Amino acid sequence: MGDFIKHPVVDMPERMPAPAIEADKLVFTDDEKKQMKTWVSRYPTADGAIMRGLWLAQEKFGFLPPEVIQLVANEIGIPYANAYGVATFYTQYFKEKKGKHVLDICTCFSCQLCGGYDMLHYIEEKLGVHKGETTKDGLFTIQEAECLGACGSAPMLQITNGPFVHNLNKEKVDALLDALKEDKIPAFTSVTLPQDEDEMGGNRRSDVSSIESYSVRPVSETLS
Amino acid sequence: MEAKKTKAGDWRSYQRVLLPPVKDLHKLDVYEKHDGYKALREVVTTDKWDPTSVTNEVKKSGLKGRGGAGFPTGLKWSFMPPVNPEIPRFLCCNGDESEPGTFKDRQLMEYNPHLVLEGMLIASYAMSIKTAFLYIRGEFADWITLMEEELEKAYAKGYVGKNIMGSDFSCDIVIHKGAGAYICGEESSLMNSLEGKRAYPRVKPPFPAQKGVWGYPTTINNVETLACAPLIINRGGEWFSKIGAPSHPGPVLYGISGHVNRPGVYEYPTGMLITDLIDEVAGGMRGGKKMKALIPGGSSTPILRADMIDGVTMDADSLREAGSMMGTSGMLIMDEDVDIISWLRRITHFYHHESCGQCTPCREGTGWLENIVTRIDEGKGNVRDLDLLLDLCTQMEGRTVCALADAAAWPVRYTITRFREEFETRCLKEMAPSGGVLETA
Ligand SMILES: Cc1cc2nc3c(=O)[nH]c(=O)nc-3n(C[C@H](O)[C@H](O)[C@H](O)COP(=O)(O)O)c2cc1C
Ligand code: SF4
Ligand code: FES
Repeated sequence: MGDFIKHPVVDMPERMPAPAIEADKLVFTDDEKKQMKTWVSRYPTADGAIMRGLWLAQEKFGFLPPEVIQLVANEIGIPYANAYGVATFYTQYFKEKKGKHVLDICTCFSCQLCGGYDMLHYIEEKLGVHKGETTKDGLFTIQEAECLGACGSAPMLQITNGPFVHNLNKEKVDALLDALKEDKIPAFTSVTLPQDEDEMGGNRRSDVSSIESYSVRPVSETLS
Repeated sequence: MEAKKTKAGDWRSYQRVLLPPVKDLHKLDVYEKHDGYKALREVVTTDKWDPTSVTNEVKKSGLKGRGGAGFPTGLKWSFMPPVNPEIPRFLCCNGDESEPGTFKDRQLMEYNPHLVLEGMLIASYAMSIKTAFLYIRGEFADWITLMEEELEKAYAKGYVGKNIMGSDFSCDIVIHKGAGAYICGEESSLMNSLEGKRAYPRVKPPFPAQKGVWGYPTTINNVETLACAPLIINRGGEWFSKIGAPSHPGPVLYGISGHVNRPGVYEYPTGMLITDLIDEVAGGMRGGKKMKALIPGGSSTPILRADMIDGVTMDADSLREAGSMMGTSGMLIMDEDVDIISWLRRITHFYHHESCGQCTPCREGTGWLENIVTRIDEGKGNVRDLDLLLDLCTQMEGRTVCALADAAAWPVRYTITRFREEFETRCLKEMAPSGGVLETA
């Protein structure tokens, strides 16, 4: 029997990788612990808080290696296996180290038809890496994303699970990458409803600094 | 031949109600000045309403779910079992919004968040629920922050929490942040996700009203659906039922994307002529091009060719007759230059990526759909691949735990049957030397 499967059918992650986070850094502050407790108290069982817990850990440590998942599981009070199962189910949890800025470029169907792949390829060329890869300087990871729920302002991208950048074009990408190199993360952008433009003369929100319109979308050069 | 007829009445002078034109409506004080929380106040503090009469009013309104399936909302609420003080009950507001082509719930959260919260509270009252979850997809991080800020303000004002507005009705709202998985929009998957499990859909029955989150009675409604509840209380179910198409009434947010001059989210009554929406509302086709096809309500609703939309209106009946569905009313408009095969290839990639992997027909089927469509797109397919694809669709439809497999199969089935010539032209005329052995990705 021993010879039957010589190699795993799929690439298995290493069972016991060397810890990526040093032991003395692998702790939550009292505030963070308090925050976790609050989340736990909002659900009938502690399990409900695991997703928030993993989010907090990812923001703190940058990604979720096994030792971080273990730490969150201990803090929430659930088995490691459950926490690991959740962490590996969702695409937004990073299981390995990513660049400082993760660019999720949407190429799903609306974006595809409005130049999503053009933008993806442009960014790939500009940064010299393919989707799924990180630049050598560790600044950028590029990923191809599924519909991010902003199809009217396609093509668009999301920066490190945070702000959306709408109505992309090459100039906008250039400016964005320059800004990100200086650690300037764009502010929340409100895309004005067309009916608001007609009836209210512009965006209804007075508290956002960055405003854009839905507008005619470009023609795609490539669809894949 | 019947003349083109809109069911949306005098829609050009339609006054928006979900997103009324009010500056800074997202702020609590502005919302309060515009009848904000008035419906909730009336419901919880006056004798005019009890849970049954609220549910009946929603039934009377004819409101149908805006999350995709179009199930009558009042009826869904009445499926909740009789109250037993020992057994908790839950509401889940579905803000997962991941169906490609859909971007309306996000706009509601951005521009009228309190309407969503008020709707959740009214629904909770109608079903005697004390905890309501608002599940928002993780990608909407900025909107989650916004909703959390506004929720905090609503708590501070006593609109949410213990003894709302001095009444004996108490209800908490918890905002749950997803982390990127389309499948979490499926109601039973959403429940598993809330419970802190891997978000695998559950076998139904038992239905959520019998056995939902943590095994307790649960109702799941879309964000836009619940946002209609305060309007129905304020202005009456009858008023609501007279907006738009009689069989599928109400205001609806049309998310129009693709090759039109003015994409975006528009609020109009249901039953709008598709041609009106494209030519007038969204400013016509970009660059004066001809339209080739459209998707009426998110990626899984069957594609309609330009020659199929004459006189078709945006409501369940008319779209069914035309051979499609209302779905989420996220419309994708495609012009004559679109390569429909490359486009279909991207959709098959989406479903392959998003299948949770529980059921064999879906896990394997979505992969094969992508493989075969890709092979055709690359010009290496055979004509018989088309029938293979259709056969595969048949093997997937209705054989799985959740409807994702159907949602994956329909675009393939209908794009092939409605654009068969184009597919055949791309296919090899002769049998490939490989004898049809597929290269797997
Ligand atoms: C694969 C799949 C994905 C779904 N995604 C969503 C979604 O993102 N948002 C949503 O509101 N409903 C979604 N639904 C529909 C829900 O299961 C459910 O029917 C809906 O939230 C009920 O709300 P409603 O009655 O108000 O429409 C999805 C269904 C399936 C099968
Ligand atoms: S149909 Fe697909 S997505 Fe749904 S439960 Fe089965 S494998 Fe998962
Ligand atoms: S397709 Fe890109 S945001 Fe929807």
